[in-house]
This record gives sequence, structure tokens and C-alpha cells, in this order.
Amino acid sequence: MTIEVELAGIGKRFPGVIANHDVSLRIRPGTVHALIGENGAGKSTLMKILYGVQPADEGTISVDGQHRSFASPTDAIEVGIGMVFQHFMLADNLTVLENIVLGAEKLHGIGDGARTRIKEISARFGFGLEPDQLVERLGVADRQRVEILKVLYRGAELIILDEPTAVLVPQEVDALFSNLRELVADGCSVLFISHKLDEVLAIADDITVMRRGTTVGTADPRTATKHQLAELMVGSELPSPETSERTVTDQVVLALDGVTVTDDLGRDRLTDVSLAVHRGEVVGIAGVEGNGQTELVEVVMGMLRAASGRITLDGQDITRLSTRKVRELGVGFVPEDRHRHGLVLDFPLWENRILGHQTKPPVVKGPLLNPAGARTDARRIVEEFDVRTPGIGTTARALSGGNQQKFIVGREMSGDPILLIASHPTRGVDVGAQAAIWDHVRAARREGLGVLLVSADLDELIGLSDRIEVVLRGRLTGTFDPSQVTAQDLGAAMTGGSAA
Amino acid sequence: MKRIAYSLAPPVVAVVFALAATCVVIAISGGSVGAFLSTIFSVPNDRILVNIVNQSSLLAISGFAAAIGFRMGLFNIGVEGQYIVGSCAAAFFGGSGLVPGPLNILATLVVAILAGAAYASIAGVLKVTRGVSEVISAIMLNYIALTMSGYLVQRYGVKAGYTYATNDLPPSSQPLGFAILPGANDVWALTVIAVAVAAGYWFLLARTRFGFDLRTTGASASAALASGIGVKKMVVVSMALSGGVAGLVWMPAYFGSVHRFGVPENFQAGLGFAGLAVALLGRNRVPGIILGAVLFAYLSGQSNELQRDGIAKQVVDITQGIVVLAVVVAYEIVRRRQSRAEREQVSEELAATPAAANEGEAR
Amino acid sequence: MRRLAATTVALATCGLVLSACGTAADDDKAADKVECKPTKIEGDPKVALAYDVGGRGDQSFNDSAYAGLEKAKGEFKVESTEGEANQDEDEAAREERLRGFAEDGYNTIVGVGFAYSESVNKVAPDYPNVAFAVVDGFDPDKTVNCNVAYLTFAENEGSYLVGAAAALTSKTGKIGFVGGVNNALIQKFEAGYEAGAKAADPDVEVTSTYIEQSDPKGFGDPAGGKSAAEGLYSDGADVVFHAAGGSGAGVFDAAVEAKKWAIGVDSDQFKTASAKQRTRILTSMLKRVDVATYDFIKSVVDGKPSSSYTTFALKDDGVGYSTSGNFLSKDTIAKINEYKDSIISGDTKVPEKP
Repeated sequence: MTIEVELAGIGKRFPGVIANHDVSLRIRPGTVHALIGENGAGKSTLMKILYGVQPADEGTISVDGQHRSFASPTDAIEVGIGMVFQHFMLADNLTVLENIVLGAEKLHGIGDGARTRIKEISARFGFGLEPDQLVERLGVADRQRVEILKVLYRGAELIILDEPTAVLVPQEVDALFSNLRELVADGCSVLFISHKLDEVLAIADDITVMRRGTTVGTADPRTATKHQLAELMVGSELPSPETSERTVTDQVVLALDGVTVTDDLGRDRLTDVSLAVHRGEVVGIAGVEGNGQTELVEVVMGMLRAASGRITLDGQDITRLSTRKVRELGVGFVPEDRHRHGLVLDFPLWENRILGHQTKPPVVKGPLLNPAGARTDARRIVEEFDVRTPGIGTTARALSGGNQQKFIVGREMSGDPILLIASHPTRGVDVGAQAAIWDHVRAARREGLGVLLVSADLDELIGLSDRIEVVLRGRLTGTFDPSQVTAQDLGAAMTGGSAA
Repeated sequence: MKRIAYSLAPPVVAVVFALAATCVVIAISGGSVGAFLSTIFSVPNDRILVNIVNQSSLLAISGFAAAIGFRMGLFNIGVEGQYIVGSCAAAFFGGSGLVPGPLNILATLVVAILAGAAYASIAGVLKVTRGVSEVISAIMLNYIALTMSGYLVQRYGVKAGYTYATNDLPPSSQPLGFAILPGANDVWALTVIAVAVAAGYWFLLARTRFGFDLRTTGASASAALASGIGVKKMVVVSMALSGGVAGLVWMPAYFGSVHRFGVPENFQAGLGFAGLAVALLGRNRVPGIILGAVLFAYLSGQSNELQRDGIAKQVVDITQGIVVLAVVVAYEIVRRRQSRAEREQVSEELAATPAAANEGEAR
Repeated sequence: MRRLAATTVALATCGLVLSACGTAADDDKAADKVECKPTKIEGDPKVALAYDVGGRGDQSFNDSAYAGLEKAKGEFKVESTEGEANQDEDEAAREERLRGFAEDGYNTIVGVGFAYSESVNKVAPDYPNVAFAVVDGFDPDKTVNCNVAYLTFAENEGSYLVGAAAALTSKTGKIGFVGGVNNALIQKFEAGYEAGAKAADPDVEVTSTYIEQSDPKGFGDPAGGKSAAEGLYSDGADVVFHAAGGSGAGVFDAAVEAKKWAIGVDSDQFKTASAKQRTRILTSMLKRVDVATYDFIKSVVDGKPSSSYTTFALKDDGVGYSTSGNFLSKDTIAKINEYKDSIISGDTKVPEKP
């Protein structure tokens, strides 16, 4: 049981966005092939294409040299491709056996035939699963094994694992890896998606790196270093964002003092964070996604409450203020997810100009809206920020990602804010728009704007920031001078590889 | 031009489709399709016309009450219970004659609004504090409203025939209707409430900050939160607002002809549910809701005529149901088409520069 | 409860048909004093039945009225039509239904159900040559309409008889009553039932419950009827009388499950119930809407349409009890018939309020 899968020239566009273009990838039989890349690099889209969840717009998939097209996951499973999603799809109130045979009753029935087969697979790869156990009694690692067993049961020879280690603790990761090695020894192939470089180097036989929707290179895990991989992942594309002159003043605009944020379960998401942003300063926050950046932004914006600590804006305590009050005090906010937080997609642009500025002229007059003012100012943004749109009456949904983002940045820099909080301001934005946004941030900084910049794009961080703070597991763990630091150093600090 | 076509096509198509489907039902059940069509399209007599106008006003107010919820992303199925509570409270107050003369009208309307709003707030508060779906709690509250008002009327009302009702509205507080067509009933004076609610609804949503916050929350709760809207507060406030308008639903009939409240003889139940359908039909837009209300009232008004043609009264219900269903489908189709057309227009504007990849944004 | 007619509508109506309004008197007993000439009906009777919600096919009230019409059609030359109320319709819709009939030339219009009382009261003055009747109806104001007959029933008398039957059959000494909606009409059933039971056995314990306080749904809610009856049975009652329309089916189901007795209402429900339920229907309190409807049509045929209140009592065979199923013992039947005679003779007065 071995199959060889090859992807060539895969392209996929969504309205306004190109998610994949010219992606090529070959998975040798009996190997673990790692696919790495930053969040948003196009990995998930590619996997969904390979698994038949969505069709590719261009390019070919071939299995054992034959061209294939998958209309649905059923087609993919038929040729031996199975996928385990990051979020498990198990019915808690059913047993392991029932979960596995669900939808595959024809293979070995639902009785003893199936039970025997499950025991057989479980024993062969050291899964240690009991067919009649209730899934709700199982821990995360066992559930993951059930998912893997599910695809093996269906005859998968290539198993796609989407960030399988994200939910596991280190010991469980080791156990997973030994399972995977058994699988490979048996002739299966694994496509392992991750952005954790240590793990990739530990398990992979081949590595392919994706960036900005395309495959940018391959690496050999025996010779490659984490630094090299980080460099490939993050890239260094022109135009590089370089801050020409220093405009940092000594006036503190935003200060966090010992801020801690806890989640519903009482776990720390942000621990004892202290940070200051000065007028005319861009402070960059570097970190692997999920290490507390989102919480940092939301606690400043008043969307989350700090469990302890104090936040001040221009000397005023804003720790307990509502988002609206914080915005009224002159904070612009470019949220990380523009569709969910930055725009109302079904509103026309001029109404989106009002969003987040409901209490500030020129878009309102007292308790009333000022449509004329909003339209005029929306037009100004469209012009100044080069938003490509037929008009300001066009709904936000119709615009491309880059143009949506330019509009948001333009809006958030309206009304002379004293602080701009920007999360991934150029994610998913084309090169031209990216340069424009950087220019605008720099210009505002010269005028005395303080900026808190969260980004996964290390080039952006290095090029724009006056100072970079690294966040790891909810703590600020290092401060770097962007003029001295390299992407590799930052990458290492972000993953906890080495301290600054 | 295109915009108008986009917004007009779906209801027209839906009505035509619904009539066609109804004809099929009639034909299958052995009725006369010809009689159905000729009656449906015949001009009703003066009395029925007046009834249609009066009923339209009730349905429209109910439609606006539901639409406020819909625009906020809330399914206020509790309009039914809220207008029962509003009507009951208003009739007790109005019948008590505490406030003399015409001023009583105004005071009673305020009571209706407050009672409806207070009752709706229960569902709103439960939603934000306990996460109870407003649909579930409102359905329960609808039952409670009906039973409670029945109890109150029996306990504190006076006997009216076999049942009980509130005291009659003092004659000095009964406004004169509009005698538009001779020989027919008057058009109720307080049908003007429907006009006022329509104007207020438009102004609130299109012109005020509060309305903007409400629409934003309805369209994207996450964007609302990031923009500084207190979403929980908005839920309670907009539920109360929806309930306040719901409290007014039956007021034109109360002041216009019934003058007292008592379930079932001296009340018209079911307007709240009909209002939800009217709001769906009218796509929460002012002209749409008004037309939807008129259409529903028209179909109901013709129901008696249809029965005399030997067509079951249920046929009207079928038609109403199909219209709503068809219009929802039709609007969705048009919405998709419109949004695609708009995207195409945008991409024409843009030079063919390849946008950067972004899977997170992919939808 | 005088309904204040202060709207211009009502005033205008009065102005147009002065003759009808002019007879208004302030005395509560006005109805007795006004001299009504019989309504002149031209040509053969053309009968229109305006049903309440549910319409023909309800196996109860509306069907019974239809049976009366059928009987009349069999005997006289009568044309007829029917119309049915919509759920949640308003007063104007009912009025329009009646006016529609009148304008289509129907000269004998029967509103089936007291819900038509108000609308008939409002419409009748405009059609002085049409004979109206309202089953279970009442005159909501003091203005007498000479062309309206209110066909009411001595439900308390019929209920008295089945109450006696219940008390005589009960072994536990506990019996129950389930009302559909707690209004004055249904309370009449309750009052008669309790009085009859106490007469037959002074120690009997009667428990009454209502499905709804005011929502007419109480007449069409079998599940509510069932849970109400289950409560009574589990409290020890072994006979339950229902006056709850369609909800009665649930009462019968509860009786089947508890293996105890139930008493039907309006029509002989033994005849329409399922085979299982039949075994538990002790008797039914008969309310002869068919008799009332037929009598009214006949009065029109005879050229003397009845008007004002006509009560159909035991002596008119307007109410009664059924013996289908032969569950009542001979002794019980004999006893019941004694009570019946006593009521007819006037020796026993049956209360109307519990």
C-alpha cells in the first residue's frame, strides 16, 4: 500500500483574493512530508483542494501518475487520501467503533467484522484504542488517534494532518510521532502541516515551504536549520519597509503596567505585561500566533478586561473604559480580522466610514448620522489611500482584500488619532497596497502618532518598528532593536529557541 | 434603475408564484380556479376596502416591531405576547378613565408602549445575562402573556356576554374615525400610528447613530464590538424598542372600534405572528412592510368572498404562506446575483494586478 | 354592561335606521316590553350558516347545527350556504361575512356560536327583512333587534342529569369536571353538574378544573384536556365530565388509561368516539343545537321567525343525556328520569352559576 501524490501548478482564487497560485508539491510514498508556512500562507486552502473540499481553479493533482479531480472528500478517500482536521469531528456520545464505521458501514459492516478490523489497525500502529469505549471518555490525544484510525479504516494511504500538534502536550507529541513512524514504516505517507519548526525537523523526511499562497522552496530536514526555515517562511520581499528617520519622543502615549488577562477557565492568556509606546514611535510585537497578541490588542481596546494591572493613554487610566470611550480618546484600531471586526461587509463604504467613529464628527452630528459628511470623508479616504472601487456606494464585500484593508487603515487614521493599534495591517494585501499602507503609517508617525504594531510578517516588523517586543506564551520575553536584529534572530526568539 | 428592478422583482415574482401554486392546490382539491382568480382580482366592496385599510395598519405596526428585531439580528417572535400585554395594560388604563378626555388617548398609548417594552425586555435580559435564546424565551412568554391577560381580565374586568373584558373606554376618549367611504365603517383614527411608526422606523435606522449601531450589530456583532458598540446593551434596548412598538399594534382597533380588551371576543390575536411574516415579506424595508401588510390584509379581506365561491378559507392561508416562503427565496437569489454583479463591476475597475494570497480571508 | 356607542360609525348607523334604534329603552327588561312584529321574509327561506372557528366537520357544535339544517332541507324547500370563521379574525371580518350573506339574498342567517353576538347585533338593523339567529347568543346592548333570535340552552339542566349519573355511578365518592375555557357559559355546565351530583349524593366531592382561563384554544387542546383529566383521576375521581369541545378527546384518552369513566358533551359522543374510548364514555350531556337550528328555520318557514331569547331546556328536548353503550344501570336511569321530571315540572330549580 503506497501511493505517490503530486500537485502541479495549483491555483485558487476567491473573490478579491488569490489564495493559491502555482503551488507544486510531490509527496513520496512512505514518507512524512511537512508543509510549513505562516498563518495565511495558503496551506489550509491547498489541503482542502487536495482533500476534495473545494475545487482548484487551475493546476493538476495526480495520484500514481494519473490525473485526478476530486468533487468531494469521498472521491479523495477512494484513491487513498484521508484528512484529519484540526478540529475533531467525532460524536461524543458514540463509541470508538461507532464513530469509525459511521458513513463507512459498507466496508466491514457495523459488527464484529468492523471490530476486528479496528483492533487490528490499532494494534499494528500502537494506538491502543478499545472499539467499545465511549469517545467522551477519551482524552485529546486518543481522540486524535480515533480520527487517524478513521481514515486508515477507510483505506487511506496518504494522511493529511492539519496542525496535529497544536492541541497536544509535548509527551503526546512524542507519542504521535512514534505512531506516525509506524505508519510510514508500513508504507503510508503523511502530509504534516505545521508552523512549529522543531517538530517539523524532528519528524519530516521532506519539507516544503509556502509563503503568500505559493510554494517558495523545499528543504532537507537533515541539513536545514531552523534559521533557514524561518527565513524561507517569512521571506524578504521588496519593497522593504524601512524607517528612514527616528521620530521617537519621550512622551508616553500608551503604557501598560503589569497587565494580566485570564480566560474563562482562569488560565493566563497574558501575564504581567508592561509596555510603553511613545509619541512618534512604532512598537512592534513579534510572536507566533496564539501567544497573546490578540489579547494584548483587545485588552488595550477595552474589548477584554484586565484581571490585574493598569493601562493608561496619554496619562489617563483606561483600564476599565469601554471600547467606545477608548476610541473617543483618540485610538485608531486596525483589527486582525478585517471581515469580522473591521468592516460590515454588507454596508456600503460610506457607512463603513462611520463604523468605529459613531461618536466623532464629521460622520455624525450629535445623535444623528451625517451621511453627507460620511460620504465626503469616505471619498477622501478612497482618494488618499488609493482604494480601488467604483464608488463609495459599493458594498465593502465587493472590494478586494487589499482595498478593504486600505480603506480600514485610512478610516482608522482619520480624525488625528494619538495612537494606532494595528494588527497584521498588511496581511493578505498585495505588494502595492502594502507599500501604500506602510507609507501612511510612517507619515503619521512623523506627525507624532504612536503605533502598536502586531504582525506575523517579520520584514514588516523590522522595517517599520522603532522597537520590537517578542511575546511568547503570554509574556514579553525580549526586546530587539530592529536596526540590529535579523529575521532569523526574531524567529528563534518567537519560538523560544533562544532568548535575546 | 437596476436597483429598483432588483428590489421589485422578488416580491412580484413571489406573489405570482404563490398565486400559481395556490391555483394548483385548488385544482387538485377540486375547486374552481377561475372563481378563485376572478374573486382575488375583483375590486372589493367599500366595506371590505375600509377593513383592509384598518387591518393593514395593525399588520404594518406589527411588521415594524418585528423588523426592528430582525435588523438587530434578533428573531423577536415575542411580538405576539408583547402586543397582548401592551393591549391588556392599555385597555385597563384607558378604561379606568384616570386621565380625562382626549389626553387619555396619549396616556394610554404611552402605557401600551411601556408595557410592551417591559415585557420584551424580559427576553432581552435573559439573553444577555443567561444566554437564553430570545426565540425560546419569547415563545414561552407568549403563552404567559395570553394566560395572564385572560386571568387579569377575569379577575379585574367586567362581564361582557359570556366572557369578561376591561371597562369600556370613556366616550370622551374615543377619537372620531375618518369617514372616507359612505356606508362603510370608518377608517380608524389611530391608523395614523402606522404612518408615524413607519416614519420613525425609517428615521431611526437611516438617520440616527442609535439606528446605525443597531444595524451594525445585526449585520456583524463582531464588527459592532470592535467599533465600540455595547452589544449586550443593544440587545436589551432593541428588544425593548421592538416590544414598545409591538405594544401599539392593536391600538388603532382599540380606539377605533373595540374600546375594550377581552380574549377572545374583544381582541384580535395572531397579529404578532403575522407581523413576522410581513417583515420577512417586506425585507424589513419601509415600503416593503407597508406593501406586505396591505397584501396580507387584502388576502384576508377577500377570504369571505372566496368562501362564497366554495373555496376553502384555508386557501388564503396557503397563499400567504407561499408568498412569504417564495419571497425569502427570491430575495436570496437576487441578493447573490446583485453581489456577484457588484464584484464584477469592482474587478473591472481594478487593473489585473494579482492580489496576494490570504487563506484566512477566503470565504 | 352597556356598550357605549359613541363612534361616528355607530351614530351614523343609528341615524340611517332610526326605526331600529328608536326602540331602545333604558330598562334592563326592555326586551320583554318591546312589541316586535314578526320579521317579514319574502319568498322561500334561503339559509346561511356562519360557523365559528372549526367549521363543519368538528364532530360537535358546528356539525350539530348543520344536522339541523339538513333536517330542515329534508322537510321544506330551503336553499343554503355556509361560511366559516378564520382563526384570529377581527370583528369586522365576522360582520362582513354576515353582510355578504344578506346581500347575496340569504334571508335566514344563523351565527353558530356566541362569538357572533356582537356582529349580528351590529349588522341586523341594516337588514330588517332578514331573520338572524345566534346559537348560544346574547344581546350585547339594550337595543332590541326584532329580527334577531338568541338560541340558548339550559346546559345547567342537562348537566344536572349527568351530574346525578356521575354521583350515582361513582364508587370513590369523588367526581371531576373539566371545562375548556373558564367563561360564564361553561360555568353553567359546571354549576348544573355539581348541583345534580349533590342532589343524588350529598357527600359526593366534585372537583372542577379549566384548561384555559380565556384562550379559546382550551376547546381544541386534547393534550391539555388529557392532563387535566389525569390530574382528577389520580386525585381519586372515577367519573369526569368534560365541557371542553375538541379537548374532550384527551379526557377520553385519560379515562381509557385510568380505566375510569368519562362523560361526553354536546352530542352523543359515544357515537363518534374511537372503539377504545367508547368503553369509557358513561353518558353524554346532549345540547341539541340541531333542534334549535331546525326550530328556527321552521319558524321562518311558518312565517313567524322567532326573535329575542329562546331557551331550549329539558322540557323542549333542547338538552338531555344519552344512554348509548348501556353503561348506566336501570336504577340510575330511573333516578335520573325522576330528576328530569322534577326539573320539567319546575319543582327543581337548577343553578346557573357554580
